[in-house]
Amino acid sequence: MTGDVLLVLGSALASGVEMVEAATIVLALGMSRGWRAPLLGSGAALGVLAVATVAVGPALEQIPIDALRLVVGTLVLLFGLQWLRKAILREAGVLSKHDEEAAFAHEVARAREAGRARGSLDRYAWTLSFKTVLLEGLEVVFIVLTLGVNQGSIPLAAAGAVIAAVVVGAAAVLVRRPLSRVPENALKFGVGVMLTAFGTFWAVEGAGAEWPGGDAMLLALVAITAWWSLLFVRVVRVRTA
Amino acid sequence: MRRALSGVVDFVVGDDVWTAVLVVVTVAATALVVQTGFYVWWLLPVVVPLAVLSSVKRAARA
Repeated sequence: MTGDVLLVLGSALASGVEMVEAATIVLALGMSRGWRAPLLGSGAALGVLAVATVAVGPALEQIPIDALRLVVGTLVLLFGLQWLRKAILREAGVLSKHDEEAAFAHEVARAREAGRARGSLDRYAWTLSFKTVLLEGLEVVFIVLTLGVNQGSIPLAAAGAVIAAVVVGAAAVLVRRPLSRVPENALKFGVGVMLTAFGTFWAVEGAGAEWPGGDAMLLALVAITAWWSLLFVRVVRVRTA
Repeated sequence: MRRALSGVVDFVVGDDVWTAVLVVVTVAATALVVQTGFYVWWLLPVVVPLAVLSSVKRAARA
């Protein structure tokens, strides 16, 4: 039960962060060049992602669970450590924090510089929205599939991503502005902690070792990882002060 | 092909190769030591924070 809740939460948070970044660029294109091409480009990318998910998901489920946990657990851990490392450095002030307002302004300026669309379809807006949604979406697909397969429920992981899509999509449509009020940096920190904890748990299980306390250890790993991550923020902040 | 492979490596490993190598070696060591019957579940949770601390310190210095 705890694992399922963490699965939905982890998938929703990770997907939500990626979707906010994609929504900022699609919004910038739509508001500066019109909505048709960005929406068509985003729709095409979502179609490609859906096909990739349907093709890869069932294939992954055929692999023996221990081998899958060893390989995919290690991949999730490596992926999570990238997020966590950057989040620690951002919180400590070494890296600048992601600013959706600045990203939005930058994309609007670029969209205006790109010149007017020729023909019935704005190729610039279509291509950029397609590329953005596809690249951010690939991360979502990777997270949903790896979390879902390892925890034994792709539908639950997908449910997390769908919840995130509905919330981010509704917010973007309602406010028609970059979602700068979303605490994106804090969310990235949380996602880094969860992916690192999930990855550690599965990689150790996949290697054949048994956790004392079984699945309950996953929750403990999340708490312990959050604790040392926050501690490292203070350590790095003091060293660079 | 080379660009695609480099893209996949960058996607999974990111910009700190040493941390990735250390993690992979530790997972492999865990799998090997488990075969001898030792309890070794603690190894990865110990190595991961040490690797991250070393990585963020190096990044802060740079």
